[in-house]
Amino acid sequence: MLCGGLAVLAAVSGRAIAQVEDHGYSAADIQAGFKIYSAQCQLCHGPNGDQIAGINLSRQRFKRVVSDDDIKATVSSGIVSAGMPAFRFQPAELNSIVAFIRSGFDTSGTPFKLGDAARGKAVFEGKGGCTACHAPQGEGRFNAPSLSAVGAARQPVEIQRYILEPNKAMLPLNRPVSITLKDGRTLKGRRLNEDSYSVQLRDETLRLHSIAKADIKSYELGKTSNMPSYAGKLSDTELADLLGYLTSLKGS
Amino acid sequence: MRTALGWAFALIAALVMSVPQAAPAAEVSAARIQGAAGEPQNWLTYGGGYSSQRYSALTQITPANVKGLKSQWVLQDNVIGVWQSNPLVVDGVMYVTQRPNDVIALDAKTGKVFWQYRYTTSPDAKVCCGSNNRGVAMLGDTLYMGTLDAHVVAIDARTGTKLWDKALADLNLGYSITMVPLVVKDKIVVGLGGGEFGIRGFITALDPKTGDEKWKFYTIPGPGEPGHDTWRETDWEHGGGSAWVTGSYDPSLNLIYWGIGNPGPDWNAAQRPGDNLYTDSVVALDADTGKLKWHYQFTPNDNYDYDSVQVPVLADIAWQGKPAKVMLWANRNGNFYVLDRATGKFLLGAPFVKVNWMSGFDANGRPIQTPQPTGAATYPGNQGGTNWFPPAFNPKTGLFYVSAWENYGSIYRREQATYEPGKVFGGGGQSVVSPAPGTPTPGIGRKSLINNWTSETGNGAVLAIDPQSGKRAWTFPQFDVTEAGLLTTASGLVFTGGREGYVYALDAKTGKELWKAHLGGQINMAPITYAIDGKQYVSVIAGRTLVTFSLDN
Ligand code: HEC
Ligand code: HEC
Repeated sequence: MLCGGLAVLAAVSGRAIAQVEDHGYSAADIQAGFKIYSAQCQLCHGPNGDQIAGINLSRQRFKRVVSDDDIKATVSSGIVSAGMPAFRFQPAELNSIVAFIRSGFDTSGTPFKLGDAARGKAVFEGKGGCTACHAPQGEGRFNAPSLSAVGAARQPVEIQRYILEPNKAMLPLNRPVSITLKDGRTLKGRRLNEDSYSVQLRDETLRLHSIAKADIKSYELGKTSNMPSYAGKLSDTELADLLGYLTSLKGS
Repeated sequence: MRTALGWAFALIAALVMSVPQAAPAAEVSAARIQGAAGEPQNWLTYGGGYSSQRYSALTQITPANVKGLKSQWVLQDNVIGVWQSNPLVVDGVMYVTQRPNDVIALDAKTGKVFWQYRYTTSPDAKVCCGSNNRGVAMLGDTLYMGTLDAHVVAIDARTGTKLWDKALADLNLGYSITMVPLVVKDKIVVGLGGGEFGIRGFITALDPKTGDEKWKFYTIPGPGEPGHDTWRETDWEHGGGSAWVTGSYDPSLNLIYWGIGNPGPDWNAAQRPGDNLYTDSVVALDADTGKLKWHYQFTPNDNYDYDSVQVPVLADIAWQGKPAKVMLWANRNGNFYVLDRATGKFLLGAPFVKVNWMSGFDANGRPIQTPQPTGAATYPGNQGGTNWFPPAFNPKTGLFYVSAWENYGSIYRREQATYEPGKVFGGGGQSVVSPAPGTPTPGIGRKSLINNWTSETGNGAVLAIDPQSGKRAWTFPQFDVTEAGLLTTASGLVFTGGREGYVYALDAKTGKELWKAHLGGQINMAPITYAIDGKQYVSVIAGRTLVTFSLDN
């Protein structure tokens, strides 16, 4: 297991930012955790981890636990009064379970590392230059989605893929489009919606357009995202910190 | 029951006083249901008659004048979630259900409501695939509804009060009913859903007066029953085999036909070796005894959740020059089939969308399966080439119409599943094939106002299939996928819709779009048509509204 060892005290980063550890989660651990979870936990917690009221394991919504060690302790001691039995797992098995939960139940088993959220915020606003496009807390006019609840909406590996390979992270619907109308005008922007007769987009100046397909001369779908790739541009630690920060953004 | 004189009086009174009055609910005898084609002003059963062709002899609305359709009235539903109900119309009164198990009786001319019945569905009801109800059946002056907690309730069609209520199965095991019962002679036939929970499915016939069981057919044969040897050891006990949608009936053969759902667990066929009869099959049952006459299995040892959740469409057509009683079936597994409905003989099978889980048929009509490697795309995807939404057949054009998902595949994940009563018995999962490996893909359902499907992940289409060849006569493509059923008329029209919220009238011969209206919500069930006082209406449910159209005159 990859353990960063960069211990950052909770007191420094504050409880408001939930991610206080620096942990890497390997593909093998996540996959092994998935197996254990399917066999031992799914019956009560459900395939998406949301079957027990007030708890959503895949979205990191807990009643009491905060840290990875808290999760391990809960599994080992059980919450017998509430109906969760105590499990006897080896340390490696406990690490796997944590990795699977932290991955947001990502069954593809892509490895990732969650670093320090406070440092991640600094990367987001500083070196990463993310605020050139993304409103830091969902405020302001920006031509990119607000990230203020991205930690609740997306799995860590999805966020990681956005940062490293944005072209592979776009939903097909969200592709940039370039449309030439029969009257000669050209519109470029991000596709927002489409049906059999019309397409809706927002151009670079944030103007909204709804275009009848009957008026379109040519319609090009961009394959590349307007978000630049940060692969090779951030150190492993910076990436982990950024991920620690983004996964902590869960909306208000 | 009213006398002819009584009717005439009511009519005259209505005219004289010019007070709008809906005719009171008449009795629907078994003979009337059998002769439903002869009274096209009514819509008496789920499929518009025992053949389930959704074909209407009404001809007032034609390809030439359909552009003049205008909305006449709208019924607003107040329940959240897709609305899949199929209204009945009987002598001017419409009966429609809404989630979870409400029945509404209304004046089909004005949309004004007579009564509303609310069944209290158990909070413990388990529904894998939506808290749907697809409508009521009627016999005499009684309505019959299946409920999400696996009851059948009989309701007085005049007063909206409950007559009896019968539990058919244990809801804690995941049994539920979403389908419309089928009235056959003096019996109410209904099938159970719940295959995703490892039920053992069955179809049962009830006494219309009491709800007492007359016969029961297990879709998964137990020890000693034919087909039991297609299961290993005790696998059959949780073998699934739901009956999600209504069946059809051929009075001339006295046979009831029903499509049977997927085996359990859904996605891990390796865990239940054997053909797993009668999952993914059509069964032909003796209407009086429920005894199996024949079966045909579309997908043996199903690895893809390809349940046969389609209503069997019965047609009398020429087959190789001779008149034949056939069954037409566009299956979730992506193939279109023609079967001899007297014997179950396989006459034709041909893919109607991209198919790669099989490469062809052997001489007996058994698919030659070609499982794709782990992680590779299987076509059609998990939702199938089509699904539960009903198709239509027009005897005049000779064409079969179906809403299909094109260019849509799934990547399956398979796991060992452990049966636990009332818990999902899935054995894995699946995701939509994306344009580039590893990229995110849309969810199956539409959860917001925004369409999440593009041509890269699949699109919807209405297909017209020629049963003689299994080939497409025409294709009407849509951008988003569609879950709309179909209606076709003797005047040469096809009515349907889709997730985009349009209701369409297409030319039944060519597929040309003749009329459309945007209703703003997804259309799931098929439109129906009926007539009152000589005026033809078309009703369609879109989103949370039921809209009724007619020509102005
Ligand atoms: C027999 C049912 C059952 C099984 C099996 C089970 N749990 Fe739980 N689990 C519960 C219940 C009930 C709670 C909620 C306790 C409470 O309300 O405080 C819970 C709570 C939790 C919590 C959250 C504690 C918090 O602070 O919110 C975690 C983490 C957890 N379980 C992990 C697991 C893991 C991992 C497994 C498998 C190794 C597992 N559980 C197996 C029933 C179960
Ligand atoms: C040049 C503008 C630009 C910059 C700089 C930028 N992004 Fe983006 N980002 C976008 C756009 C546009 C999208 C949405 C379009 C898409 O799906 O490709 C997006 C999407 C995302 C998403 C997915 C959000 C969601 O809910 O779908 C994440 C996460 C993200 N960006 C993170 C970052 C981070 C972290 C940085 C800085 C390291 C960054 N972005 C820098 C333009 C930018």
